Formats: sequence, C-alpha cells, structure tokens
Amino acid sequence: MWKLRKLNRKAAQQIGSMEEFRLKRREKEKALRQARRDKQLVSKRLLLNEDEEQLEVSMETTSGEQDVVGLFHKLRHTNPEKKEVHLRALSNVLRDPSAQLTFIKLENSVHLLVGLFTGSDAQCRLQAARCLHELSHSPHTNVAAACLPATPYLLTYLSGQSTKFTELCLYTLGNLCPDSEGVKEKLLAQGIIPALASCFENQKHNLAVVEAVGFTLSQLLQTSTAAEKAIPMVLASSLPSQLLSVLTPDPEFGLGAVIECAWCLHYLICSSEDHRVLLAHGALRHCSSLLVTLGGAVACGNKEEGMELLIWPLLRCVGNLLPSCPVEDLRSQVGDFDLLVALCELVHAYLHIQPALARETAWVLNNLTAHSSEFCSAVLTFNLVQRLVPLLHFSQGINTMVLRILANIAHKKKEFCVQLLELGLLSALCATLKMTEPEMVTLSLDVLFMMIVSSPQAAEQFVRLGGLSLLEAIQYNSEGQMRRRATYLLEQHLLTYQ
Amino acid sequence: MLQPDLNLLVTAGEDVLTRSSDERRPTEAPEKQENPFDFTPQLLRLHKDHELFEDGDIQRHLSIQDLFISETEDTSALSVSEFGCHISGCSAVFSTLDDYEHHYNSLHRHVCCSCRCSLPTARLLDIHIQEWHDSLFTVLAQRQDMYQCLVEGCGQQFRTSKQRKDHLIMSHKYPPDFRFDKNKKGRGTKEAKRQQQKNTAMEVVGVVQESQGVCESISDDPEEEQSMETHVSSEEGAAAQSSETHTAQIKPQYSHRVPPTVCFGHGSVRGFRGGRSRRK
Repeated sequence: MWKLRKLNRKAAQQIGSMEEFRLKRREKEKALRQARRDKQLVSKRLLLNEDEEQLEVSMETTSGEQDVVGLFHKLRHTNPEKKEVHLRALSNVLRDPSAQLTFIKLENSVHLLVGLFTGSDAQCRLQAARCLHELSHSPHTNVAAACLPATPYLLTYLSGQSTKFTELCLYTLGNLCPDSEGVKEKLLAQGIIPALASCFENQKHNLAVVEAVGFTLSQLLQTSTAAEKAIPMVLASSLPSQLLSVLTPDPEFGLGAVIECAWCLHYLICSSEDHRVLLAHGALRHCSSLLVTLGGAVACGNKEEGMELLIWPLLRCVGNLLPSCPVEDLRSQVGDFDLLVALCELVHAYLHIQPALARETAWVLNNLTAHSSEFCSAVLTFNLVQRLVPLLHFSQGINTMVLRILANIAHKKKEFCVQLLELGLLSALCATLKMTEPEMVTLSLDVLFMMIVSSPQAAEQFVRLGGLSLLEAIQYNSEGQMRRRATYLLEQHLLTYQ
Repeated sequence: MLQPDLNLLVTAGEDVLTRSSDERRPTEAPEKQENPFDFTPQLLRLHKDHELFEDGDIQRHLSIQDLFISETEDTSALSVSEFGCHISGCSAVFSTLDDYEHHYNSLHRHVCCSCRCSLPTARLLDIHIQEWHDSLFTVLAQRQDMYQCLVEGCGQQFRTSKQRKDHLIMSHKYPPDFRFDKNKKGRGTKEAKRQQQKNTAMEVVGVVQESQGVCESISDDPEEEQSMETHVSSEEGAAAQSSETHTAQIKPQYSHRVPPTVCFGHGSVRGFRGGRSRRK
C-alpha cells in the first residue's frame, strides 16, 4: 500500500542514517540506469508485514542458512498446530538472499510450501504465502523460477475474498512476472489476465488491492516482449476501462492505486501506435482531466509528496495519445484549454527539482500545438508565451522543445508571428541564435525566417537588435544548414538593411 | 492553414536537403537562392525505451524498491545553455551574452577577408586593406606619401611605413613593436613564430596558414602585454581554457573550404564590418 511505503521510508531512516539511505539510493540509481540501457530494467516490490512497521526492519541473519534447514526440518515433522509458528519464523529467515538459495536447494522444499499454501489451515496459508512472497523477491532468478509450481494457486486465490491474502498473492505474482520469458508465458497461459480483470472488478473499492493489481499488471506490461502477447490480451479485456476508472481526482482513493494504474496505461500506450481502443474508452479525456487537477493543485502549492510518480505516466499517456487523435477532435478529447495552463504550471513547478519531468511536459505541449491552430491561439490568448520564453535558457532538451512549441505557433499564421513579435520573441531569438547547441541555432533561424516573412517590422526590429552582424557570423559556422539559412536571410530578406 | 509563402518553404526545403552542396559554394551569389528553411511542426511519438523517458523510469523503479524521495531542493540536473562563437574554428564558449559580444566584437568584427587577420577597429582594417591588398596603393605609394598615421585625427602621411613608424614613436610615443603596425619585412620570423602558437581567434584550415602574412591577430604572443592593446588576449586565453572542455562539442573538422578571396554577404572586400548595425 502506498501509505505503507511511506512509513517504511521513515523506518528506513531510523535504522541507518539518512546518509546511508541516500548512498544506497545513489548506487541503486546507477545500477538502474545501466539496466535500462541494457533493456533489463526489472524491479521487485516487497510487501512488509504490519508488525514490521513498529519493529526494526533489519533482520539478524547470522545463522540464516542454518535456520532454514532447521526450520524446514521442523516443518516437516511437527504437528499441524505448530506449523504456523515455524512458517512465520521461516518467512523472516527467507528475507536473506543466501537463505533463499539454500531453501530452494532442499529437496521438496517448495513442494512442501505449496502444500501448506493450499492446505486447509488459513493461518498456515497466509504464512506460506509470506514465504513465497519472500522467495519471489529474490535477486536470484532461479529462486523465483523455483516458485513456479505455486502460480496456478496464486492465480486461483485472486478471486478469493480475503483481501490481505489477495494482496500478498498479487505482489508475489508481480515479482515473478518480469523474471523470464518462460515465467511470463506460463502465467499468460494460466490465465493471469482474466484473473487480474475479475479481481479488479470484484475488489475495485479496496484501494490496497487495486494498487496491487495495478502493480502486477504493470510488471507484466513493462517487459520488452509484452507488446506481442500480453498487450493485445489486455486491450481485449475489461482492464482498460477499469484502469481509466481509477484515474479520478478523488483524494480519498489514495495515490498509490492511481499511480500503478497510470503506469499500466503508459505501457499500454507507448508500446503501440494503434490507440483506437483506448481512445474509445476516453483515455485522453481521463488523463488530461487528471493532469488539469494536478496542475491546479501544484499552482496552489499543494504538491503532495510523490506526485511526480503520477504526473510522469499521465504526461506520457497524453503525449503519445495525441498523435492518434484527429485535430478536429482535439478540443473535445482533451477538454478545452485548461490543459495548456496546467502543463505550463507543471513545467515551472518541476523545472528545478525534476528537470526531466519539465522536459516531458514541454514535449506534450509540442504535440498539443503541432497541428492545432486553436491550441496555438490559446497559448497566445492565455499569456503562456511569456511563461515559455524564459525556459529557452535551460539546456538538455528543454530549450529545444520549448522553441519547437513557439515555432509551431509561428508556423500557423502571420497574425501569430506578429503577436509573437509584440511579445518580444525576437530579442530572445538573438540570444538563442548564439547558443552552442546546433539544433537551437537552426530552429531559431527557422523561427526568425517565419517572423521576417510575416511582417516588415520584424526585419526592422531584428536589425535594430544587431541581428545583421549575428547572421554574418553564422555564415562562417561550420554547419552547412546554418550557413545556408543565414545567407538566405541576408540576401533575400535583409538586403535593404545592409 | 498555411500561408502561401510558408507553403513554398515547406516544399522547397525538401529539395535543398537532398543536395549535397555543402562542399562547394558558387563563386558568385545566384540570383534566386533556394529556400533552405524546412521547419514543419511535428508530432513526436516516444516509445517505451526512449532516452527522454530515462529519468522518469528510474524514479518509478526507485519507488518500487522503496528508495524514492521527493526532491525538495534544487538538484544539479538542470543546466543552463551556454553561448558559443559561430566562427568555424573558434571554439570559444561563454556563459553570458556579454562575454559573447565582447569576444565577437574584439576578435571577429574587423577581419580582412583576404588574409583573415583581425584588427580592433574599422579604421585600422581600412588602412590594412589599403596598404596590403590594394595594388593601386602600391603604385601610388611609389610617388606619393600614402602611409597614413595610425592615430586618428593626426592626418599626416608618409612615404614609407618605416617613416610612419618613426613618426608614431617620436610624435605619439608609441612603442616600437606596436602590434597593429607590422612591417612587411618582418614576415619570415613572425610567420615561424605563429606556426608554433595556437591561434584561437581564426583557425580556418589550410588556406589561411600560408596566406596569413604579417598581420597578426590578437591572440598571438600572449606573453607580450602592450600598453595599446586591449585586455582581450588574457580574456581570450581564459576563454580558450574554458573552451578546452568544450572542444568535444565543437567539431574541429571543417569540410567547407572558404576561398580567402570570397566574402559572404557583401560585395566589398571587407568582412564583418557590421558598420551599419552597430550594437548599442
């Protein structure tokens, strides 16, 4: 559960110092970046016991391996009433990766566990489920693979009524999903998608379960081969509309569930170019309206911790859905121009703390303004140009994307160019024309050209700003496309000023 | 939606791009150049593994592993764009527009198209062109006093450059090795000196090295501090240092050969005069 995770972070802060936590995080981040480059980005989630919130999370694992063997022995030989205690102890011990390895090598260990998992004792079931969960979380792939015999039962239990138990089963499945192709094939064959769909349907008012379903589904959809099998199956099921129904700005519903569902939608959308199913379900509308709400909250200073984890997938959904939406339907799908304002708020709110998020926001603005005169006009009407121009200073793709937005506007109509001129775009261009990024210079020349052909005042103003010597300098740039543009402007449009 | 002339630029642009006229420029400017502008608004689709998505994916996965923290302070990830000199071969980079302007105005503004040397003022450039690249001057100088005094307002003229130099030293208290009045005779030694030193102001390949005669550019001899000299050379040195790290960005390979006799943009021999559009 989302709340649970926040408390865990506090616990983490108590164990080691904050510094240790940050160090661990930095190392993990580096590993994750490399994994992403290798297309091997996989993570697992650990659901902690309730009692672990109060106690210290760190476990003493000095004699973990011996405990495993001993506990296993006890499990096999004690009478049923005592089994629960041993199972509980075993689940604690199995937190340790080396103990996990030892366990699966013991003969019939998983078989025994599955037996208890499916037995008649409810408490034993729960504890056995805990053990399986620990195993599913293992960094060693052969440990998770050893849990495969449990999967048909895990899936069956998803239709059960015990929500705590269902949650555990879901996270276990979610951890098992991305491990290997074989595991995924098996799960798909065993009907994980219908199982998830009906679980969602039955438990949609329980936000912890919904979050767990979302997580599991996202693990399934994130893998690189998901597009072939899993995604078509999901699109054919009731899951898309279920996911979208969660995207409500209802604050009671809990951030965690919405986040998981949003990431699922992102994986569904970015993996293909055919979005008819999702558009028919109103995906663009839902995502846009939630973004508008979030933008509004941010503008009021209500930035809830972790909100970027929701904003990110929503931006991506909208950004990738826009190319599939016909221009004439844009306004009805996206819901008027509130989205424009909200996106500008988001850019500024996250510019310094998460620049990559600001960049993605600018990307969505580009897609909104690319082919729509209405939205370009709205950018001008709502005084958003003045908010965008200062962003031209920031590199790493933010300035180029923002300049594209302004170029989109200039490209539509002469009147827009004139308005941009009045808003002082030319002096901003005189700065961007001097930047080191070649794309910025070329784009700036393109915008400059559009403005100059649209009104004679543009040429005059440009010359007054010292533009001629700037273009002359660009004529000596090593990039051919810059030289040609500068020369063309000087010879065809600025001759009278020289 | 598109205006007719903008339509033109869309279609014309495609033609220009398929040509590879990078390497050669026509020796005379054509009557109607092809329109090179080809911007069209683009809908950008980003697939799952796109690099633009990297940071967001990482935060998502950190969150799954319980390591996510909502950043409240400014991270160092946001960076500001820098400015860079356009002149091919000059790899100077600046963090402010003022630095850029100062660099450009000092080093690239008054440049002789023929020998690529850079002079600090329009007047000195005029004098240089006249004395070095004007055959008529050479003819007239045999019979008249053609060498002008370099001090503005003095107005005196001399038969030889040596006489002018003596006048500068005697009357105007100039140093004997004033940088912007080089003797043609001193060619041999100066050239050898220059080959050794890195010329960061104008480094157009090949053609320049041979033709660059006596006229020195400012960044030569950085150890010589002249009283007349602006303090550009020390700044240029600093900029050159800071540009070391940026050389990776600026490709030092110039595939275009600019014949020294061609000046773009104007009919005149002068380059970078910008006299009519002086900045405030």
